Amino acid sequence: MTDNDIAIKLENVSKTFHIRDKKKKSFPDVIKGIFTGNNKRKIEAVKNITLNIKKGEFFGIVGANGSGKSTLLHLMTGVYRPDKGGKASINGNYIRLSLGLGFNQELTARENVFINASVMGLTFREIENKFHKIIRFAELEKFIDTKIKYFSRGMRARLAFAVAIHANADIILLDEFFGGVGDEKFRTKSEKLFEKAILRERTIVLVSHNLSIIKEHAKRVLLMHNGECMITGTPDKVFLYYQKVLKVNKLRINEDKTDA
Amino acid sequence: MLGNLGRYITKRLPENNQYERIWILAKTDFKLKYYDTFLGMIWAIASPLFRILIYYFVFTFIFTNKIPNYGLHIFSGLLVWMFFQEATKKGLTILKSKRYLIENIKFNKLDLFVSSLLSSLMALIVNLIVYFIVTMFFKIPITWNLLFIPLIILNICILVFAVNLILSTINIFFRDMSQIWDMILLAMFWINPIFYAKSVIFEYFPILMYINPLAGIIVNIREGLMYGNPPDWNLLLYDYAYALVLLSLGLLIFYRYFHKAAEKL
Repeated sequence: MTDNDIAIKLENVSKTFHIRDKKKKSFPDVIKGIFTGNNKRKIEAVKNITLNIKKGEFFGIVGANGSGKSTLLHLMTGVYRPDKGGKASINGNYIRLSLGLGFNQELTARENVFINASVMGLTFREIENKFHKIIRFAELEKFIDTKIKYFSRGMRARLAFAVAIHANADIILLDEFFGGVGDEKFRTKSEKLFEKAILRERTIVLVSHNLSIIKEHAKRVLLMHNGECMITGTPDKVFLYYQKVLKVNKLRINEDKTDA
Repeated sequence: MLGNLGRYITKRLPENNQYERIWILAKTDFKLKYYDTFLGMIWAIASPLFRILIYYFVFTFIFTNKIPNYGLHIFSGLLVWMFFQEATKKGLTILKSKRYLIENIKFNKLDLFVSSLLSSLMALIVNLIVYFIVTMFFKIPITWNLLFIPLIILNICILVFAVNLILSTINIFFRDMSQIWDMILLAMFWINPIFYAKSVIFEYFPILMYINPLAGIIVNIREGLMYGNPPDWNLLLYDYAYALVLLSLGLLIFYRYFHKAAEKL
């Protein structure tokens, strides 16, 4: 496999956050903290992950809440820089889709489509040519000039997805994107699209709790647990582990309850 | 009107995604400001005119002064001032307000700063047009020296661009920045020769002319707009140097800390 075939490359990538807790402290404590560095707390969100995602691959990421999935996506896109010693690179135009983000609420659907597609690298002429396709795919013909803030979650998701697949995004990163969409019709429609040729050459990274989507489409799945990559492999293999992890988590929660 | 003009211009320019992107971001920024208001674009003209009227009455009838064509004196000073104030206030929050793009799409982040500047520049141009309409009622010499005005406007643009790079990055780490900047703006408003003549500063506080990069710009723009004189070359050179030094500093800070800022957005 040459580097040209790789869409996303992570080498020994870790991410540590230094978080300052908002806690009321006495003034002397604050001053002391400045010298000793005690004001900040370290959180290792992602630990030492090495991973190659091939071009055209449909890659799934699963894991419990707070296991570092979203941080990993941000590391892939380069919005977060890995800690020293790690290297992350992304090869191509990407768009990250997550619910509730990605649009300016005060602008209409038309304006948002133009802005997002333009920022992604399309010229106005290309956007004009594709505009109807985008709106038709999102089934928002009646809401072209409505502000996004009046859109439902499902409508926003449809529009974001439509822009992403019609613009020239080589890599589409979906962060819990289908989690909150109750729109079954749209979900099956997008799922069908995953099978279609237009998406074949795109790389898709899907982070989700929804096992069925990942199981059906992803060839490879990564299981995150406490910031670490527990296992990568075929969906069937990984899901066995995932269920174990979930069970352990549940047990731990129950223990916490009895402790209290 | 502006939209049609924009469409007319973009249709005739060669296709370039980066220019188009900067243009559409600037256009929507500008539009959003007047979007939901009933009078819309009229506010872009009415609100500065109203400010000028108030200052004019206060400084003519309450505090008297001897500056000729005092209305224009205030107007020309406020042109620069309002541009600077509005542009830097918007720039301060630019990383937050454009978070929806920064986090999700790969593109050159400096485009955001150019587009923000461009949208403020549109307001400045509207104000300049109003200014020239108003000057028809005064006896103002119109000379070739007006051609230096774009040179001075370019100087403010570099200055604003640099300040925005610095402010927006600091503002992510240090939320108090917007409060501090408001105070700095208030101080700058009064130490700049907006209401009084440049001689006041030159005589009593010559240092203010140099630590504050706007003073020279206001003086020079007035020389051109009101008196038909060429700019004071020393001041112009100084202010260009000032803006360029800040620009290098701004780029340095932005490239050094943008990634850390993105994590805290």
